[in-house]
Amino acid sequence: MRRKNMKKGKHTFKEFTSKPEFSSLLILLVMFTLTAILQNNFFEIKSIMRNINAFAPLILVTMGQAVVMISGGIDLSSGTALSLLSCVLTSIMKKNDPITGLYAMIIALAVAVLLGLINGFGVGYLRIPSIILTFATSFIWLGIALFLRPTPGGESVPWFAIFYNFGSLKDVSGFFGTLGGFLPPSLILILIGCLIWWVISKTKTGRYIYAVGGNSESAYESGINTAKTQIIAYIINAIFIYLATLFFVGQTGSGDARMGDPLTLRSVAAAVVGGIALSGGRGNVYFALVGALILSFVNKIIFFANIPYAYQTLVGGVIVIVAIAISQAYISYSTKTKEIKIG
Amino acid sequence: MNILEAKNIKKNFGGVVALSGASLTCHEGRITGLLGANGSGKSTLSKIIAGAYAPDAGEIVYLGKTVHYKNPYEAKRHGIGMVYQNLSLVPELTVWQNIVLGDERNHGYFLDDDSAREKSIHIIKKLWPKLNIEGRVYELTPGEMQVVEIAKAVSRNPKLLILDEPTAALEEAQVASLFKLMRELAATGVAIIFTSHRLWEVVEICDDLTIFRNGENVAEMDFSKDEKNLQKIIFYITGSQEEAGIAKTCAETCGDVRLSIRNLNLGATLKDISFDLKKGEILGIGGLAGQGQQELMLALAGNFRKVACEAEIDGQPIRLTKPSNAIKHGIMLVPGDRQLEGLFSAHSVFSNLIFPKIGLEKNFVIPHGKLRKECEQIVGILALKTAGLDVPVSTLSGGNQQKVVIGKWLGLETNVLLLSDPAKGIDIGAKNDLYSYIIGEARSKGMSVILYASDSKELIEYCDRLLIMYEGTVVSTLDTEEITEENIIRASMCIEDE
Repeated sequence: MRRKNMKKGKHTFKEFTSKPEFSSLLILLVMFTLTAILQNNFFEIKSIMRNINAFAPLILVTMGQAVVMISGGIDLSSGTALSLLSCVLTSIMKKNDPITGLYAMIIALAVAVLLGLINGFGVGYLRIPSIILTFATSFIWLGIALFLRPTPGGESVPWFAIFYNFGSLKDVSGFFGTLGGFLPPSLILILIGCLIWWVISKTKTGRYIYAVGGNSESAYESGINTAKTQIIAYIINAIFIYLATLFFVGQTGSGDARMGDPLTLRSVAAAVVGGIALSGGRGNVYFALVGALILSFVNKIIFFANIPYAYQTLVGGVIVIVAIAISQAYISYSTKTKEIKIG
Repeated sequence: MNILEAKNIKKNFGGVVALSGASLTCHEGRITGLLGANGSGKSTLSKIIAGAYAPDAGEIVYLGKTVHYKNPYEAKRHGIGMVYQNLSLVPELTVWQNIVLGDERNHGYFLDDDSAREKSIHIIKKLWPKLNIEGRVYELTPGEMQVVEIAKAVSRNPKLLILDEPTAALEEAQVASLFKLMRELAATGVAIIFTSHRLWEVVEICDDLTIFRNGENVAEMDFSKDEKNLQKIIFYITGSQEEAGIAKTCAETCGDVRLSIRNLNLGATLKDISFDLKKGEILGIGGLAGQGQQELMLALAGNFRKVACEAEIDGQPIRLTKPSNAIKHGIMLVPGDRQLEGLFSAHSVFSNLIFPKIGLEKNFVIPHGKLRKECEQIVGILALKTAGLDVPVSTLSGGNQQKVVIGKWLGLETNVLLLSDPAKGIDIGAKNDLYSYIIGEARSKGMSVILYASDSKELIEYCDRLLIMYEGTVVSTLDTEEITEENIIRASMCIEDE
């Protein structure tokens, strides 16, 4: 079947169902339905917007994590990087000086790129295993963040709230006001993220990220600068984290050296649920988004199930393991059937 | 015109001398064969020319200029392409993405995938039209991966193409189309270096021949002048006049039934296979490549959970659903692909050799001293060329790595030895050593052997009985006196006797 289908880019439905992405979509559908049943006003515009806002940070951080994982690495510093960026933003901004918001955004972007560069340099050129390097850098980021902002707080310019809600500004013209009624800015941030990856995936860099993650020796032998590719992957990741930070600071108007902590491992789990292989080289960044949605819905379901708060974290952890086990079992099942067919 | 001239190249690895003064000349539009025993320095010289190693001494003149390439990439840019024995593909990418990897072209700002696909189709069509260029490399058979590897090197339009054992993984039909492509390339002026352990292949395709022994050249032949004398070539390779192969000692009576297999089925891959294996018998499995032979070997070793079969060993029923079941009853598999199965390449020769043994060791503490002595014996038996028991397996040459795979199982209580293409990538001398050892074990200790070999000459030489497989089932059985090249081909292609 596979061999006869020679036309480029065309895939049969059967082929699609044998991919791990298919299991992710199935799980998402189940979670979606469950949540829709449990949440009475699920389909009202207001609650859709609230859900998108609640899901956005994990989605963005997971997409960045996916890029790093495809390149064969992992980033255990993404949560603290987010915290650090929030502290940088709120340290530069002055409440009464709108232009400082712009300065803060530019400087924070530069800091984000620098964080990615440091992680990528350590993994690519110093050859430190990514799991150790990023675990160590996560403490460095945390240290700097605590230095900048020992306790949560800080100032933010009022217009920064547009990253959370277009309608939040009274002195902006009516257009944004109406827009804010149905379009959450977090959705635009996610779309910007998707656009960035779409462009990269059409270039050599995108191909090389897959090649380096799949087999870095072969990639090197083919004349690819593997270290440079890894650095770029970490910088792309940092930009996704930056986008998530903009949303967070827009929402809270303050910085917090510990706000990103829970996101690190959740983003790894979400990426795996979305079909990104921990071994690298395999997976689809857009499906990382699906994985993040699944984990987010799981959280909602736990919330609606009226489980005492103390157990919510526990159940959440168990469900992550179950979800990953299901998708891994699916992958090994579909590759095994393929092997037998080849013979 | 000379494309390449390597003069008096020397190279040491640690204490082992790999090349002690090797020379090689390649001419425009000619195919130069490189022959030699394992560890005679063929691969080392190829890698030096391709820029992967730097020579300790000597000179390389390429296109009239002395060159010193620092890495393979630099050599590649100057038109030296090499197809490695160890595949250098990215399994997660598709076939065409691998072919153009590192050589992608842009169309505007974005990748030009259409032209990359066209280029890939153009080359793949010549080599193996059945191959789907959209397939991912991890789904391919070893032969197909080798095809992709060759296509990758050819797509760079090299002036000098080095093919290091390209045919070891290929099926016969693939070899034929590779030879056709090599002729085409040579006709356009490309110089080709070709190495293979299959003598007749080298003799068939090459215009010139250079033979290595112990790191230096012992002979050069030009087939436009010299005759193709196999005995003479073997003499140069081994250094002693020897029959091409050892005589078969069979026809003696074999013992009772050791292993009996009834109605073995595995999905659509293996269908209704039944046979009896006697004590001390060497049973061959032949047929066209890829008719389920390797799967049958894996199934007998208990690698498929879903296999359905009634199996008895020495009259006792056993279940072939777990490898540990098979090993417990003394059924040992020597896998054919040393890259994928069978070796921990970063570990030492010693720890590789003892792995299956410590698995069966009943003592709580591993008896290191005893095992070391055993391993030294195995190294002797197989004439394993290594700097010691403690060097990593990855530093050995390809043929010597294969010997380690086989050595792992020697010295164990083996009732049934499954050999899946054991001589792939081994030179003639080592092949004879290996087979004479195995036949000796079979005759003296009553060990039964099932041998699958992609090279039908090995089957003819060593087997007492031969099962021919076709599309996952046994279509005919040849007895000792019936095993001839002609009969095998007849049975393999299901040609009825007239």
